[in-house]
Amino acid sequence: MDSMMFTTTDLLGPGPSVLEIDDHLELEAGPSSNLTFSLGGLLDPAPTISSTESQGNLLQVPIHRMLDELSLSTASKLDGSNQKANQTHVNPDNDFTLWCDRYRPQKFTELVGNERVAREVMTWVKQWDWCVFGRRKAKKRTKDEEQSDEPVDEFHRPRERILLLSGPPGLGKTTLAHIVASQAGYDALEINASDARSGQVVDDRIRSALEAGSMLGGNKPTMLILDEVDGATGAGENANSFIAKLIQLTTDRPRRKKNSGKNGKAQTQRPILRPIICICNDINASALTKLRQHSLQVRMTRPADVHVVKRLREICELERLKADSRALTALVGVTRGDLRGCLNTLQFIKSRNEDVTENVIRRATLGMKESETSITSILNDLFSPLSKKRVKELGLTEEEEGHYVSRLCHDIDACGRDISIAIGCFSHYATLRQHDANFTRYESANSWLGTYDLFSSAMYSDGDFSLRQYLPYTLVPFHALFHERGGRVERSQDDWEPDTDARQNQKITQTNQEIYQSISRGLRIASARHHGAYRHFVEMPMLQLELAPYINRIISPPIRPINSQVIKAGERALLSRLVSIMAALELRFVQERAEDGQLTYRLDPPVDVFITYDGKRANDIPASRYAVRHLVAGEVDNLLFAINNDVIEKGKRGKHDFSGSTRTDENGDQPPSKRFKADHTDIVDRPPTDFFGRPITTPSAGIRKVSGAKVLEKKFRIAFKYAEGNSAAVRKPVKVSSFL
Amino acid sequence: MSLWVDQYRPRSLDELHYHKELTERLRSLAASGDFPHMLFYGPSGAGKKTRIGCTLKQLFGPGVEKLKIDQRVFLSPSKRKLEINVVQSNYHIEITPSEAGNYDRVVIQEILKEIAQTQQVDLSAKQRFKVVVLNEADSLTRDAQAALRRTMEKYMSNMRIILCANSTSRLIAPIKSRCLLMRVAAPNETEMHEVLKYVAKSVRIDLPPEAAHKIVEDSNGNMRKAILVLEALKMQSPDLTGPLSIAKPDWETYCHKVADLIVQEQSPARVMEVRAKFYELLSHCIPPTVILKTVAERITERVDESLKAEVMHWAAFYEVRMRMGNKKIFHLEAWVVKVMSLYKQFFYEMDISSFD
Repeated sequence: MDSMMFTTTDLLGPGPSVLEIDDHLELEAGPSSNLTFSLGGLLDPAPTISSTESQGNLLQVPIHRMLDELSLSTASKLDGSNQKANQTHVNPDNDFTLWCDRYRPQKFTELVGNERVAREVMTWVKQWDWCVFGRRKAKKRTKDEEQSDEPVDEFHRPRERILLLSGPPGLGKTTLAHIVASQAGYDALEINASDARSGQVVDDRIRSALEAGSMLGGNKPTMLILDEVDGATGAGENANSFIAKLIQLTTDRPRRKKNSGKNGKAQTQRPILRPIICICNDINASALTKLRQHSLQVRMTRPADVHVVKRLREICELERLKADSRALTALVGVTRGDLRGCLNTLQFIKSRNEDVTENVIRRATLGMKESETSITSILNDLFSPLSKKRVKELGLTEEEEGHYVSRLCHDIDACGRDISIAIGCFSHYATLRQHDANFTRYESANSWLGTYDLFSSAMYSDGDFSLRQYLPYTLVPFHALFHERGGRVERSQDDWEPDTDARQNQKITQTNQEIYQSISRGLRIASARHHGAYRHFVEMPMLQLELAPYINRIISPPIRPINSQVIKAGERALLSRLVSIMAALELRFVQERAEDGQLTYRLDPPVDVFITYDGKRANDIPASRYAVRHLVAGEVDNLLFAINNDVIEKGKRGKHDFSGSTRTDENGDQPPSKRFKADHTDIVDRPPTDFFGRPITTPSAGIRKVSGAKVLEKKFRIAFKYAEGNSAAVRKPVKVSSFL
Repeated sequence: MSLWVDQYRPRSLDELHYHKELTERLRSLAASGDFPHMLFYGPSGAGKKTRIGCTLKQLFGPGVEKLKIDQRVFLSPSKRKLEINVVQSNYHIEITPSEAGNYDRVVIQEILKEIAQTQQVDLSAKQRFKVVVLNEADSLTRDAQAALRRTMEKYMSNMRIILCANSTSRLIAPIKSRCLLMRVAAPNETEMHEVLKYVAKSVRIDLPPEAAHKIVEDSNGNMRKAILVLEALKMQSPDLTGPLSIAKPDWETYCHKVADLIVQEQSPARVMEVRAKFYELLSHCIPPTVILKTVAERITERVDESLKAEVMHWAAFYEVRMRMGNKKIFHLEAWVVKVMSLYKQFFYEMDISSFD
């Protein structure tokens, strides 16, 4: 109950508002009951007490008028009482500020604890001075003046243009930012989570604010403070997310700079010459992944308890609140140094006119135990027992310490990301080197995970979110099963997420799915061309289980890399079959230059990933050599070219064919579709020429001859004749055979 | 040119090689003029779709082979675009509603309504109705199946539905009762030999009996797989003589490797190793149920008789959970741990749990 009261105060502002709310509730209850009572009177002929009307007149007055009157009278009553309430509750001796606002430091010297961090931030801001204010020296910006060894850009901005300030709540990050801003002579423009946080904001507000240099009516330069950036959009690859835009804003300047220099005039997008400070709680938030590399990271840590306690005592004295230092130490311990939390608690205690003793503190902070709810910390709690220090801080007894279930449940629930926690548990439990002779613990761990999965998928698929409250309980058993001293979850790199391997797996799966999709696209095209021949393979399990492994074997026959003219009859048959199958499926070898400069042929779409497990190819399929692939690639491209021509001649240029021909465009050495457009009057009569009318000589002349003969067999003579005149129709004599 | 599987796929009922009595029944059904809704079910590669195609040809004549393949776009209730590939002739339409995932209901409703409300315009058509072939009917969601129920009855005059599924267990009873069930069993060995011989003769290659025997043995009643294997073999070693080694699909080999790992050692480190392998398999888009089944089958080959039943029991148990859940890897690993513990218990021949 205490905690609830506390949070309402926190939300609504100063203490008295709680009372106000209560009053409102009463007021609302009053008139409604009145109304029902009088209505009841209207309905039955029994005597009523409702209004000034006498009984006998009731039937003459229309009901809507009565209702109007009623509402009028209640409204006036409500008004009056409201005023009364306001009057009574304006407490002359208690103004409406939170203590944490009232005692917010105003000057740099007033900051408590964390002096190093404050200095670090200040130093960074000072680095901007050259750029923003222009030092005396800055007048002559010549090349030889650059004595500093670090690469300073042309505007003399610091290397990292964003400062990322992180740390748990209540340590004074926002305060620090503002103070530093005013100390260094800036106007702070704060954009926090209460503002819109889409990528558009960057364009609309931030850019304009920063480009203007200073705010309207002020003569100081602007410093941008982005509060709570971890709540911004930006986790995805989306280029329009807030973070991506922000980074874009600060980084890709030089190119534009050159442009504007050439034009002699500054373009619309000028470089950003003002410092930006980003503030976040969780530096490992996925939204910040990209921002981290572009910014100077400063981490706020919990200041030493002594400083905080000292400050609290000063405030208590100012507020005439009796407080013993033990109680204050306990308060700081419980809140983990969260000064705002401490002050709110004290103010709350003060509003109830109590003295600050340890007991009061314990009661007041019942709900505050979870203050850090990152996934890592929860996993740590799950896999390791509570540290002795924390036990002491929370003032738990031996017995209470043993009661881990509700504590952990509460933590997991508060975090709200139970899926990540479950995956974290899953990836962590087996790495613990614990003796488990017959896997009993593993079994039960897995059955809990299974239960979790069943619950959560039932919850999401049926939309039955009443199951949600049970989810944390399925993860808590990990504590009982695996807690051990030293079993802490490691946090290695800055990009650390508890579900790295799961996520990686997901990424690979996605690329492979795309490959499957491109294969099935190829299959569909093939089935369109071959009277529905390949269409049965498109279905998913069959494609993966049967076609993918065997098509790889089918397309890698042992062919010797020789000239296709001197090839033996048997091999020729093999080759032509291979080529026709590959062409039908739109599989082709694409020439590529490897990093070491060697030419290689790559399969496209890369179906060979499906015979590659653990990075090794299946050993019964040797990767064909370059020369062989070269031979096959030429043949396939030729055949595909012929097919496309064929289709076009038939006048059924479907969507898929179009895509096929454009793809040839990209990687073939001659652009067939262009050429085709150039002279499609009578293609057969002329020798093949390219766009400029030069005869085409393909690199493998021999191959071309072979397939050329094939092409000629298939083609029909068609003459296009355009009738000049107004008719929009195109007339063309076409042979019947081309429709067959 | 198409693969042999397609090239030598029977196109009419007369060409079918096996299940003669089924063929006769189909023929008489097609002739009767009272063609019912049908549900073809049977294992993969048994020839369901071939039979559907043949039946259609029997019903409508060669016109059904003039196929048009295109993509249709449907809008899901949340206005997302769903692209569905549609294969159709003048007389029938073939779709795989499961391409739309959870929104297959939309596809079913729209396509069926559209077909059902237009009568056959071709006066020379042999039948007055059109046929809708629904592939992968067993992966239809419940919603979609429910959407089918009424339409199947209501539009009987204009439309017949042919469902194609691997098993009937996931179809709701009302659907099953509205269809004539046709079970297409997997061909037995002699039948497969016959088909392989026919294919070999048509391609004009020499198929040694040992090779044919091996292929048949390996493909486990899956005709499509057998012919694919034959073609792959022919491509890789053109003469088909000498010692032949039939390559298993790579995922299968990999699954077997996993099974061997499980049997060799039971330790937390091994659990992690197996997990990495499972991830690799899953990332190759191998369905988790298939992984579980293949690994379990391999393990039963390797362990003692008394354990086999247990291993299979738990595999079935976890497969159900896997189908219900989302995180497949959890259940796969749970099963692995279960099997390891079973194996260990058996190995020490005593119940260690009493000491724990």
